[in-house]
Amino acid sequence: MTENEMLKKFIRDGFEKGVKEAVMARSETKDSYTYALITKKEDVDKLTPIAPVMQWNGADILRRITKLKKSERKLLAILRPCESRTYKELVKFNQINPENIIVLTYDCPGTVHARNYKYEPTESEKLIEEMKSGKISNKVRESCRVCEYPTPIKGVGDIGLGIVNTTEPVFFSLSDKGKEFLAGMGISEGERDDSSWVKLHRDNREKWLKEERITGGRKGLEEFLSSCLNCHNCKDMCPICFCKECFFEDHSVFDYESNKFYNWADDKDGIRLPTDKSLFHVGRLIHMGTSCIGCGLCQQACPMDIPLYRLFGIVGNDLQKVFNYKPGVNDDIPPVMDFREDELHEFEGLFGGEE
Amino acid sequence: MTEKKFDPVIVGFFCNWCTSAAADLAGTSRLHYPASIRPIRVMCSSTVDPVYLVRALQEGADATILGGCHPGDCHYITGNYKARRRVAIVKTVLKSLGFDETRVLLEWISGSEGPKFARVMNEYTDYIKKRGPSDFKYLDSLGGEKVD
Repeated sequence: MTENEMLKKFIRDGFEKGVKEAVMARSETKDSYTYALITKKEDVDKLTPIAPVMQWNGADILRRITKLKKSERKLLAILRPCESRTYKELVKFNQINPENIIVLTYDCPGTVHARNYKYEPTESEKLIEEMKSGKISNKVRESCRVCEYPTPIKGVGDIGLGIVNTTEPVFFSLSDKGKEFLAGMGISEGERDDSSWVKLHRDNREKWLKEERITGGRKGLEEFLSSCLNCHNCKDMCPICFCKECFFEDHSVFDYESNKFYNWADDKDGIRLPTDKSLFHVGRLIHMGTSCIGCGLCQQACPMDIPLYRLFGIVGNDLQKVFNYKPGVNDDIPPVMDFREDELHEFEGLFGGEE
Repeated sequence: MTEKKFDPVIVGFFCNWCTSAAADLAGTSRLHYPASIRPIRVMCSSTVDPVYLVRALQEGADATILGGCHPGDCHYITGNYKARRRVAIVKTVLKSLGFDETRVLLEWISGSEGPKFARVMNEYTDYIKKRGPSDFKYLDSLGGEKVD
């Protein structure tokens, strides 16, 4: 039995046992996979719980579902590990009401770039097979190859499905809620060792953090963003960018009298327009960098194929190091919501705090 | 024609309760501080979204100062702690992209510290004069080849 069929059976059993009333999982479309919400047992066959592409971040969709009111029915959401971390992060930001939501996550084989999938479809079974043989497929996205947490983590989400290093996939609980759920389903918890699969990604990540860094200040950043259209797709797809009103969307902030532009052109020997193109990315880094969970959707959404995850992922990693914070993996409060009275003295004054 | 002397533009965001009062005190005490400082009075150091710091840098400032009350003395109890975290974020982003992070300065100057205000402004202006024009100013422009 493949993992997808196993999960479908799990969903069907759940409906029969009455432990849940709705399921959110991926469903196939002509060229891709989107999220679908079902409430009836008969609709289960329309789902493909483990899909080879990630078009949207599932946590962002859960945010939309619980935006006005908590979930009124018991919802099982099947999310990728990065989505479950986003879920955790958005719960901390008070963007998702976790009541009545059970999150199931699994050992992730990675996802194919949505555009590549459209022209060159592949099956998730193939990706899973490569994962089982201990190899990261060369088809998966850059952000998946350097993923820091490709497997379920205790405390993030409720139920985990272990696929690597085991003959039969095993379910295990990640929280008390999940333990109860599995007990209600009559499923005994299993175990498997995922350390080699995680290590493979961490090694890639170490190398990637060193090699792909954008340096050189203005020149480096301008070259990196030279083909940017200023379309703001990266912001729209980013699950952490949940603000209703964005500083960079309100263009009246950047309205000036014409003389201002001419004076700039005088001073700087010519300016590029619009003037907020690179500033948008720097500003977005400042706003969401501390909570970047590394789903890489900014990079997938870029119409000009700018490897944006190298910007947000690597600078985000630096930011998270400063605050000793790992987004979405534990219950720490996000740095932008918290402070200590005695900290960060090296950022005060000109030479690090001393009088 | 002789080369024009570099006269930096430094934008200062000063909190209403401490650093702005210190600026007043420095003025009434007839202490000298450079005219390159362009002060903007804000109600609290934490009202300054860090994006405004980088935006000032891009639109022509060579450096920015965020001035607030000493930790523990904030008029709004905890504003300056939040400001410190935000400045830490801006400085880290600038540094990791290879910009000069000393272009953003965070200083605690209380209302009675007029002499400290004048000293900090003098020292920082001298420092920026030595560093030369800011690299960030030329982001998305055609010029600035000689700036490093």
